[in-house]
Amino acid sequence: MFCSSTSPAVCRLTNRVWGTVVLTVLFAVISGLGIRFGHLRGIAAYLVAVLPALPIIAVIVAFGIFLEEEKDEFQRNLLVQCLLGGIGGTLAATTVWGYLEAFVHAPHLPLMWIYPIFWLFVSVSYPVVRLRYR
Amino acid sequence: MEDRMLFILLPLIVANIALAIWGSGYRHLYPAGLLAYFPAILFALLGVAFIVIFGLYLKEEQDEFQRAVWVQSLLWGIGATLTVITFWGSLAEFELAKDLKLTFVFPLFMLITCIARLVLMLRYR
Repeated sequence: MFCSSTSPAVCRLTNRVWGTVVLTVLFAVISGLGIRFGHLRGIAAYLVAVLPALPIIAVIVAFGIFLEEEKDEFQRNLLVQCLLGGIGGTLAATTVWGYLEAFVHAPHLPLMWIYPIFWLFVSVSYPVVRLRYR
Repeated sequence: MEDRMLFILLPLIVANIALAIWGSGYRHLYPAGLLAYFPAILFALLGVAFIVIFGLYLKEEQDEFQRAVWVQSLLWGIGATLTVITFWGSLAEFELAKDLKLTFVFPLFMLITCIARLVLMLRYR
């Protein structure tokens, strides 16, 4: 649908990710409205609160499936290196910020930001990893 | 790897967890200026050192199988940590759970990665 790649695995991944993007926005709106105006309590509140997290987790699963499906060893290896670069950067950033929060009273970073920070580091890793194999 | 694991990585993990627990109570001492920044950066460097040492290990490891198992464990660690953090973050965002301290993200990732490695090693036995 939104894919220009020749690899079917990449196309499936792209379509899955786009699907989850739509669901993330939809579920975030439903959760926000549900919690704010629905005056939900107990299990219902918990279920509505975790709704926006579900598509985000679906993206992680989609990448896991992609790593299984992708036939091209080199492309798979590139993605794995980017993901490892992403987690390395994320862990370094959260550790530094966490200690700054504890010791220097830096503003608190909500947990929801860790996921976008991870993908930011993955995106930064990508050109670096590609340059290595030029 | 075993030597490096035993003498460098394991003490770093233990130091990191201990400091994460201790650091969460340290803020009540209200350190100021350099006194506050210095331990924050010093302790954070332990975590960063761990990441760098592990990255170097993955690069140097000659045994394809060992490297593959570590990479798979790390991928499971990434997936499960982000899942837990995102769920928890969602609950915290709507004030249904207490916000988790950022310093616990690293030990959580390590814990999940180690469990994944154990499971994978059992699978490949």
